[in-house]
Amino acid sequence: MVANDLRQRIRDKSVFIFSLLVPLALMGVLNLSFGGFDTGNVDLKPAVVIASSEDSGQLGAALLEAVDELPVMDVTVRKVPAGHVSRETKDTGADLGIILPADFTTRVTSGQALSVQLVEGDAAGVETNVLISVVDGLLEQFSAGTVTAEAGDIAGLPHQVLGGLAQQAAAGTPALTLSEGQASAEQLSLKGTLVAGQTGLFLLFTVGFGVLGLLAEREEGTLFRLQSTPVAPGTIIAAKALVGFVLGVVATTILLAAGSVLFGVSFGSPAVVALLVLAVAAAATSLTFIVARLVRSAEQANIAQSIIAMVLGIAGGAFFPIEASGFLAALMDLNPIAAFIRGLGIASGGGDVADIAVPLAVMLGFAALATLASRLLPDRGARA
Amino acid sequence: MTAEVQTQKAQVLGVKGLVKRYGDHTVVDGVSFHIEAGETYGLLGPNGAGKTTIISMVAGLIPADSGSIELVGSAMTPASTRVKGHIGLVPQELAIYPDLTAKENLLFFGRLQGLSGQELKGRTAEVLELIGLADRAGEQTKKFSGGMKRRLNIGIGLLHRPTLLILDEPTVGVDPQSRNSILESVEGLATEGMAVLYTTHYMEEAERLCDRIAIIDEGKIQAEGTRNQLVELTGGVDRIDLHGSGNTSAAATALRQLPGVQHVDGGASGLALTVHNGPGLLAPIVAEAGRAGMALTSVEIVRPDLESVFLHLTGKALRD
Repeated sequence: MVANDLRQRIRDKSVFIFSLLVPLALMGVLNLSFGGFDTGNVDLKPAVVIASSEDSGQLGAALLEAVDELPVMDVTVRKVPAGHVSRETKDTGADLGIILPADFTTRVTSGQALSVQLVEGDAAGVETNVLISVVDGLLEQFSAGTVTAEAGDIAGLPHQVLGGLAQQAAAGTPALTLSEGQASAEQLSLKGTLVAGQTGLFLLFTVGFGVLGLLAEREEGTLFRLQSTPVAPGTIIAAKALVGFVLGVVATTILLAAGSVLFGVSFGSPAVVALLVLAVAAAATSLTFIVARLVRSAEQANIAQSIIAMVLGIAGGAFFPIEASGFLAALMDLNPIAAFIRGLGIASGGGDVADIAVPLAVMLGFAALATLASRLLPDRGARA
Repeated sequence: MTAEVQTQKAQVLGVKGLVKRYGDHTVVDGVSFHIEAGETYGLLGPNGAGKTTIISMVAGLIPADSGSIELVGSAMTPASTRVKGHIGLVPQELAIYPDLTAKENLLFFGRLQGLSGQELKGRTAEVLELIGLADRAGEQTKKFSGGMKRRLNIGIGLLHRPTLLILDEPTVGVDPQSRNSILESVEGLATEGMAVLYTTHYMEEAERLCDRIAIIDEGKIQAEGTRNQLVELTGGVDRIDLHGSGNTSAAATALRQLPGVQHVDGGASGLALTVHNGPGLLAPIVAEAGRAGMALTSVEIVRPDLESVFLHLTGKALRD
C-alpha cells in the first residue's frame, strides 16, 4: 500500500512541486532579499577621518593610530588643527572628524574628566557608524585608565606611579576576555536560518500527502474498496502515515542538502542532522492525524494544513527569528519547527547527539501528544 | 411411493433483520434476504431507497445498528477482516487510481486480496482479457473512456474470484454499448457459480439478470421473488390499448360486455382496456370494436412488468 501510494505521488508530480521546487525557490528569493545582511557579506568602503593633532602625549597618537589601522576597513587619517576639523570634514566629504583635547594624554593619565568631539560627515553611512563605534570602544578602554588613576589617588600613591598605572590600564590588554565556543552558539547564520526554516515549513505541507490523501481516496471512491479488502483495521491509516513520514524525511533531507550546496550553509554532523530530520518529520506527521479527525473533505484538510503550517512555521522562525518572553516564550519553545531550527543551530556549531537532546525531546514529545490527542478528538468521518 | 428429491444450493449470504439509522431517520428498516451460490439477486428500488446502505453493511464498510449478516457461515462486521476476503465489491463510484495503469490497479488490489506470484500475474492477465482491456493494460487509467473505467472497476471486483460479488449500480452513466457489455459479463458470472448481489434502479436490468429480485423502497423490502412471482402480485392483468376514430363510446359500451374485460377507459382517440389474458382476448376485442363502429389504427398489448409491480406496491413510479 505504501509503495502504491509513493508511486502515485511520484507520477502526479505535485509532491515535487510543493515539497521541493517551491521551497527551494522561496529560499532563493529570501536569500536574495535578506542574505546580504548576513555576517561577512557587507563590504565596507574606504573611509577618510579628519583628526586634530594638538595632543603631544602618547595616548592621542595611539587612538588615531588604532583608527588608522582598523583591520575591517581601509581608513585614511588626515591630521589638521582642531579649529579646522569641522570644516575640513564637511568640505572634503570625509566620513568622520575627531577633535582631541590638546591635553588628552595628560587628562587620561591624571584621571581628570575629558571630552572628545566627533563630527559626522555629510555622506555618513555604515562606515561612519563603524568608525564611531571603534572610537567609542577605545575611549571606554581609556576611561579605565582614568578610573585606575582616581583609585590610586584615593589610595595615596605618588603622582609618578599614578601616571604609569593609568597609562598601563588604558593601553594594556583586558585582564578578562570572552571567547565564543562553537557548540554553545545554537544560532544558525541568517542563510542557515532561512534554509532550515523553509525546510521545516514545507515539511508540514509535504506530510499532508500521506494521511490527508485518505480524504482524497474517500472522495474518489477508492477508500471504500480498500476497506472492503481483508486488511487488518488500522493498516490503511498506518500506511498513509508512513507515506507522509517517508515523503517528509526525503523532502527535508533533499532541501537541507540542496540548501547547503546552493547557499553555502553547513549544518554539522550528518548523523545529528538525520536524527533531527526523523524527529521533525514524526512531529509533522502526527499533526496530520489531528487534521484528518477534524475535517470532512480534502479541501478542508488542505486549508487546515496550510493554516497550521503557516502558524507553526512563522512562529518557529521560518522567515525570521521570533522573540518572546514568559509564557509565550515557553509555548514557542514547544513548537517543533522552532525546535528543529534550534537543533540545526546546535548541530551547525559542532554539537553532538547529547547536545540536541532537548530539541529532540520537544519534537518527539509533540509527536506523541498530537497522536494521543487525535485519538481523543471526535472523528468527523474522515478516518479509515 | 415416489421420493421427491429437492436440490438445495449452499447459502452464501444470509441477512436477517438489518437496521441502520442516521439520527432519527431509519435508512434500512428490518431487511432480510439470502443468496445462494450461483444465484444473482437484485435489489431494485429508486435512488435513496437504501440499496447502497444495505450493501455497505454487507461488505463490512459500516456497522449495522441491529440485525445480522452471515457470509459463508461467518458473521460479517467491519472488523471481520478474514471474511472480507470472500467479497468482491464494485462500488457505484469508480474506485480506481487514475495515475496507475490498468494492470497496476489490478495487481495492487490483487495483492490486498492475498494473491501473489504467478497466481496474481495469471489472474490479472485473465481479467484484463475478460474485460477487454488486455491491449490497453499498460496505459494510465486517466486516459480511459468512461466505459473502459467501468469495466476495469468490475474487473478489480472479480480478480480474486470472490464467493459473493457485490455490484452497486454498475451501469450508471455508461453508454449503451458498454452497458450491454457489462450486463453480458454479469450474466456469465452466475454460470461460474459466483453469487451476485446486484443493485439497480433500472427495471430491465433486474429483469434480465436476476434470478430473484427484492423490490425495496424507503429502507424496506416491499416484495421478493422471481420476476413472474412479483408480476403475479399485480393480479396478472394486461392492458390493451386501442387507437383509432369513429364511434369510440359505442365501442366502449360493447367491450364492457365481453367476458374477461375488467375495465374500459378512454376518449375519442382511443380506449384502454384492463383484461385477463390479453393475447387470448385480442381477436374478439378487435372484432367487437369494429362492429361497434370504431375504425382502429393500432392495437397494443402492455404486459405487466416490474415497473407495474413497483407502482402497484408503492403507489409511485421507479424514477431515475
